[in-house]
Amino acid sequence: MRQFLAGLLIGAAALAPAGIVMAQSTPLRIEITDGVIEPLPFAVPDFVAETGTAGELSAQIARVVAADLAGTGLFREVPASAHISRVTDFDAPVQYADWKAINAQALITGGVSVNGNRLTVRFSGYDVFSENMLGEGLQFSGTTEGWRRMAHKVSDAIYSRITGESGYFDSRVVFVSESGPKNDRRKRLAIMDYDGANVQYLTNSSAIVLAPRFSPAGDQVLYTSYESGFPQVHVLDVARVQRRILSPEDGVMSFAPRFAPDGRTVVFSQSRGGNTDIYRMEIASGNLTRLTSAPSIETAPSFSPDGSQIVFESDRSGSQQLYVMAANGGEARRISFGSGRYGTPVWSPRGDLVAFTKQNRGRFHIGVMRTDGSEERLLTSSFLDEGPTWAPNGRVIMFTRETQGASGRATLYSVDISGRNLKPVRTPDGASDPAWSPLQN
Amino acid sequence: MGISGMKRAICLVAALAVSACSNATDWRDDGFGGSGGAGAGTDVGLGAGALAPNSPAYFQQTVGDRVLFAVNQHKLGAEAQSILAAQAGWLNTNPEYTITIEGHADEQGTREYNLGLGARRANAAREFLVANGVSPTRIKTVSFGKERPLEICSAEACYAKNRRSVTVIAGGFTS
Amino acid sequence: MGWVAFGAWFPSEPLPSQVQEVSLISAAEFARLSQDVAAPELSPEPATLAVPDTANLPEVAPPPAESTTETQPEPVTQVDPDPVVEDRPDPVPEAQPEALTEITPPSPVEVPELPTPIRPAERPDAGQQVDRVAPVPVAPPPPDAAPDEVAQPEIAPEEGAQDPQEVQEATAPEAASDRIVTEENESDAPVASAAPARSVRPKARPQRPDPAPEPAVAEAAPEPEPTPDPAPEPTPTEAPADRADAVGDALAEALSGGAEVEAPEPSGPPLSAGEKDALRVAVSSCWNVGSLSSEALRTTVIVGVSLSQDGKPDTGSIKMLSSSGGSAAAARQAYEAARRAVIRCGAKGFDLPPEKYAQWRDIEMTFNPERMRIR
Repeated sequence: MRQFLAGLLIGAAALAPAGIVMAQSTPLRIEITDGVIEPLPFAVPDFVAETGTAGELSAQIARVVAADLAGTGLFREVPASAHISRVTDFDAPVQYADWKAINAQALITGGVSVNGNRLTVRFSGYDVFSENMLGEGLQFSGTTEGWRRMAHKVSDAIYSRITGESGYFDSRVVFVSESGPKNDRRKRLAIMDYDGANVQYLTNSSAIVLAPRFSPAGDQVLYTSYESGFPQVHVLDVARVQRRILSPEDGVMSFAPRFAPDGRTVVFSQSRGGNTDIYRMEIASGNLTRLTSAPSIETAPSFSPDGSQIVFESDRSGSQQLYVMAANGGEARRISFGSGRYGTPVWSPRGDLVAFTKQNRGRFHIGVMRTDGSEERLLTSSFLDEGPTWAPNGRVIMFTRETQGASGRATLYSVDISGRNLKPVRTPDGASDPAWSPLQN
Repeated sequence: MGISGMKRAICLVAALAVSACSNATDWRDDGFGGSGGAGAGTDVGLGAGALAPNSPAYFQQTVGDRVLFAVNQHKLGAEAQSILAAQAGWLNTNPEYTITIEGHADEQGTREYNLGLGARRANAAREFLVANGVSPTRIKTVSFGKERPLEICSAEACYAKNRRSVTVIAGGFTS
Repeated sequence: MGWVAFGAWFPSEPLPSQVQEVSLISAAEFARLSQDVAAPELSPEPATLAVPDTANLPEVAPPPAESTTETQPEPVTQVDPDPVVEDRPDPVPEAQPEALTEITPPSPVEVPELPTPIRPAERPDAGQQVDRVAPVPVAPPPPDAAPDEVAQPEIAPEEGAQDPQEVQEATAPEAASDRIVTEENESDAPVASAAPARSVRPKARPQRPDPAPEPAVAEAAPEPEPTPDPAPEPTPTEAPADRADAVGDALAEALSGGAEVEAPEPSGPPLSAGEKDALRVAVSSCWNVGSLSSEALRTTVIVGVSLSQDGKPDTGSIKMLSSSGGSAAAARQAYEAARRAVIRCGAKGFDLPPEKYAQWRDIEMTFNPERMRIR
């Protein structure tokens, strides 16, 4: 084959007009301002099983990587049925032409070995048309039970290398699993991988549970439970599934909790005498500080990533709107001014945007705006969307969508912050109130 | 119905241990779809014909245990005030009972806000009762937000019944 | 092992028996839960592969210097375009033709069908969300037409069918919307199928005298070209450089008249505005910024490339000349997207007048994503 190729090239060289003198001119300059936005085609052939017992995992890991990347909407998989060459040796040279021929612009190859319950995954990414590697090859090792996480880590590395943003695949989501009819809904806390795999239940359904939130380290979850008959804020250790009440004051309703970025402080709402305000509590000491004192409803507080500010909702103006105040309270600045009502603001992990729920003319929307309220963009529209949560890289939002009517059911959805790639997240039962964890270590 | 029937039985056996039946409103709700609740129920199941005037069942059915609210409001209308006045009268003649007032909202709102709204509604009812002679120490309030709808259709006819406060007789002791 | 195993402990609700289980989860169940929840052990840091990566690199030619200095977006080597043709084969067009014959239908007309398995039946119908956003809205193609934005170098017919028009006939522009269709805005704007009839967004580049119909432009820009106008129109402010060029181009054209057809002088007159536009559009159609970070979308890169006389980019000559607006990392991603655009859409050779080769042999392309940021 190489001889054939070389022959072609010699022929081409001979044909080149030799006698023409090329004037050395300045380069032609053009400016490209209109491109396309479409998913980048990639191929992930089954990873190579490098030990006898790795066969199944090597295929499964490749499938998870493909699902992760395709699931972002930024990439599109070229299915295996279209592949021309097979990768049977991870260390062998890549047959770029075969991948160009099927327009796979990125290629991910890997090798998997299993020794006992020890799993090692090596992988490389390639920019096919440039015939370059996408960064260095990497390897992860761990236990075989953790194979999905390793696949997610592969995806995170590839995603990050191509897009320039950190990934979000090796992350989890805590949420409220729902079953039963609307007027007898059973709710229990559950946790799963970001993609809906590995669902585990953290509480039973004997009491209403609402709106769980991860700690910055991802090891604890704050949530509201009616276990005592009143809504109270609980904190749960995820690994040990141990929980305790954080706001034990009898008869005082506490809800809408969220951690500060330092993990040592929480904010939540308390209702006293029918008035709902925002409070801040040091977890260690239990010291409580009141941050708002208006006669209106102040709730749904969320810290800026640097911990200096809190965005929250209030109806002090007569309808629900979004406000920003300093983390120790004080004067608040309204940031939402569009028509309709705004609630459940969540500061993005990048710090530049606030996601929110908007109600307008009988519809619910998930939207984002800059933290000064400018550049509002609505991403979704339905009978009932609410409760956005950010992926750890600030690129994707997950939220609750509830369908209409007597058979209404809650489902988790995710959407890119561009508004593209809206899709449901599969869960075994109904699901609401998602909260995305940070990337796992 | 099977479930709620079961739950009703459990809750009765549990001797009004309210904290163990956090969704104890359901069984009361099932039988009384009417706005005021007064005499509207047919699936009473507890012997409607033999209600003692000092019984919690009499309070629910004859006095009326719930009042309704307008969208996003917690102000008490005329009908709500007359029901609450009757509740105050009954509570004043039956001082051995304590009560929990539940505040509820319809599904047209975000979860947290509706908890706040339910708290407002429960408190509005509470303040009316206190103003009419019921000791504040006998009253607890709790908001369920939109978590415990009574009616499940997604239309104003249902929403109107879900925007409510419900006065629950907690028993003859203070829990 | 996850939830499937645990599902056995909590049969799907509501079961009547479930109601009686109001007790909390037992200690044993919790123990089991915590077992299940325990995170798998993972090496905290990814390890760089022990295998020397250079062993994996391209088979046909020694890897260009860029492959190892990828992290540095600076131009690495100045490659002289002329010798490259001989000693550094461009593997794009001719590599392994025999392998391809096995899977490629023999007839050149069918060539564009090759990409179809990539997106089997996922081209949305009119009125549905379109996952491609392009500068100009394009109606979805008929179901049997293949997307045409990607030139397939390997399957370029070896003889006959050199005429790009013929290939284009077999394809249709890929469906595209001129903005991101979200749930929120899908109802209040025309759907993609209605779009070609109107120009929703004004074109940034000035409409200039256009002496000859340009196939590529006609394809990508369905809105009718204005009739030739001797004087440049009032120009949008964002393209001052182009405007100067346009004047020069118009002048050169007026002076040269129809002579360029007969004059085979390779260093011939400057490219006409239409010829430059055709090139711009050709590159644009492969410039996919959809997978770029928001920072990379704020980064303008200037990319240098040398073309061979058949209009094909010399892959090894592609380099980033400069960048502005973003970090080095963002510039790298922006550059890589630009490089993919040049290589992919140039694989069949850009449609440029051979007699003006000296004018377009070296090109500096500025990729400015400003208008692509939020669509």
